[in-house]
Amino acid sequence: MKRFRGLTRRGVLKGAAAGAAATLAAPAFLRETMAQATGPIKIGIPCALTGTFAAVGQVTKRGAEFFAKERNAKGGILGRPIELLIEDTQGNPANCVRKAQEMVERHNCRLITGVTVSSEALALVPKLEEWNTIFMSSINGDGRLTAASFVPNFFRANTSGPMGARAISLFLRESKMQKFFALGMDYAWGHNSVQVFETELKNASKEFIGKVFSPSGTKDFSTYITKIRQSGADGVYLVLAADDNNAFLSQAHQYRLAERMTMLAEQLELVSVKAVGEAAIGLTASSRYPFTLENPANAAFVAAFQKEHGEVPDQFDGEAYHGLAVLAQGIEKAKSIEAEPLRKAMEGMVHDGIKGKVTMRACDHQGEQRGYVVQVAKTDKLPHPTLNILKTYGADQITPPCNKMTYDN
Amino acid sequence: MRGWIILLAVVVVLAAAPLGLPLFMMTLLTEALILGLMAMSLDLMVGYTRLVSFGHAAAYGLGAYSAGYILLHSDTPVLFAVFIAAAMTGIVAIAAAWVFTLATGVSFAMLTLAFAQLLYAIAFQWQQVTGGSDGLAGIPRRGGPFGFDLLTSKIGYYYLVLLCLFGAYLFCRTLVNSPFGAVLRGIRENENKTRALGYNTRAYKIGVVAIAYALGGLAGALYAPFAGFTNTELLFWLFSGQALIMVIVGGAGTLIGPILGAALFLLAQHQLSSVTETWAIYFGLMFIAVVLFLPEGIWGTLMQRLGRKTQRV
Repeated sequence: MKRFRGLTRRGVLKGAAAGAAATLAAPAFLRETMAQATGPIKIGIPCALTGTFAAVGQVTKRGAEFFAKERNAKGGILGRPIELLIEDTQGNPANCVRKAQEMVERHNCRLITGVTVSSEALALVPKLEEWNTIFMSSINGDGRLTAASFVPNFFRANTSGPMGARAISLFLRESKMQKFFALGMDYAWGHNSVQVFETELKNASKEFIGKVFSPSGTKDFSTYITKIRQSGADGVYLVLAADDNNAFLSQAHQYRLAERMTMLAEQLELVSVKAVGEAAIGLTASSRYPFTLENPANAAFVAAFQKEHGEVPDQFDGEAYHGLAVLAQGIEKAKSIEAEPLRKAMEGMVHDGIKGKVTMRACDHQGEQRGYVVQVAKTDKLPHPTLNILKTYGADQITPPCNKMTYDN
Repeated sequence: MRGWIILLAVVVVLAAAPLGLPLFMMTLLTEALILGLMAMSLDLMVGYTRLVSFGHAAAYGLGAYSAGYILLHSDTPVLFAVFIAAAMTGIVAIAAAWVFTLATGVSFAMLTLAFAQLLYAIAFQWQQVTGGSDGLAGIPRRGGPFGFDLLTSKIGYYYLVLLCLFGAYLFCRTLVNSPFGAVLRGIRENENKTRALGYNTRAYKIGVVAIAYALGGLAGALYAPFAGFTNTELLFWLFSGQALIMVIVGGAGTLIGPILGAALFLLAQHQLSSVTETWAIYFGLMFIAVVLFLPEGIWGTLMQRLGRKTQRV
């Protein structure tokens, strides 16, 4: 009997030793050691493919994949094909950091873009220096990313939240409306945009009568809508995205909020317009990328996109595409994907693409670009309402001063 | 004796891991050990005292926010910051446990949930201290005197986490095998009987909750400088639920099981979500399968089988 026991113990030890050997040997064998100087250019996209922000993440993925396919057909960047690493973060910063870390440490990827939520981006930026990685924002709106939280390896090709708020408030300066209320999503971007809007109204001598924040993932907006109705405002400023925006717009339609006051949105996705249909008509919004932009590059993009997907590109299709196009131009200019030369190449670089001329200014890496105010309108040409551009503002009016997220009027 | 040999072997393998594992696997392993520490601390309550908590995220989040705040607003080295944060969590937990133990059973669980949600709401609202919905970002892993600078490196930090987990395991093991642990098991089996024997069961319960929260707080405190940020998700009820899943899947009342459960949870979540977008469904199915076919959890069932085999021999 003792013998058996002895054997068992030895067996256990052998098992442990074998396990240890396997743990030590296998990964070394599997390890990727090749530096990324040749082969495909890996671009990491840790985005929210599931969860509250899934609508945004899915569209980002579609736009990015479209860019990669189109570009690869033309020979890629620097003659190297683009390989996208797309991973689901559920819009959770902890997951986002983990996924991005995996892209950097495991797949030797040094370029990140397409991060969905601003709080994810805020969690990522302190890591960029250690990772020696460039992060090109194509969605993240929080003004702090190019102000208080700015790091040298961060670039923002997209229109930021403050820029969206600025466009709407410049538009309001010309209107007769006097009193405004604001509803924002209760996280980084929502707070930031509402704050900028509030300051802008004061500068324009308009009245800001109150604000309310709804947690991400709110399904029932009835209490918020009641509050907004009771406020007696002429207009309500909305900082909502994805599912929350859909829920709000359809409930606001039921409550006939639009008959009481003008609804103004900080940004607008077509996916929301499609989801709520008629309920969206008349909605005025600042748009980061309306597919109706008139320039040759955009016309070609929209046509090619429609051919591929059978529908027009949404706001974040355009932004994801635009972000990658800026990044690709930077890489070609730097002839490298290493952080330092790439950073230098992109500072001050002018990109002329689907959003017109965009200058990646050197001081805080914000892309200087025009701002658009659009209105949702009926059309016969599309199965859903379209976005009519009401007003275009110049980059000098829209882009905040360096390292700031407020405007000097 | 055999248990000690296995334990030693596991620790040796874990200590040697940095020699062979690629960098990212070390990152994942560090996070798994941190989650393991949190799940193990919950096991003290769930597995040994049958105090089911739906709010263990409170411990983790409180530890994380405390450590994050200390590291951001003072020059305290990371080593001290994590232990201060753990102690703070334990102290807060004494007060909270005093309230929790006014109730038993489901009401107890609801109170733990309420406490965690309260902290969640505070973290959301108290912008100046907690950073609101953005949380605290850029938390440094500050070294310090006596060669603590080693802790600023990834591998150095991994060893700190490993030591904390190993130390906490030895502590918990000693605790559950001590007379204190016997009383806890007594409360688990029949609280009235234990009270009739002359034990102040409420004091014991407050004690075990404080210890469990302090260790959970230690795990959270280790997480903050590891990830470099904290946010309100760490305090959300979803995370408390996940902690319970880790304990149940691994095997409640085994200490080792929950550590295993946490590691499996993290790996499954991480790997599945890269393979398919519908990963949550597979994840749910796996959980149901474990509950149906391995009611004692993975480690619990394994130990039962091994135990039976030895007896037969």
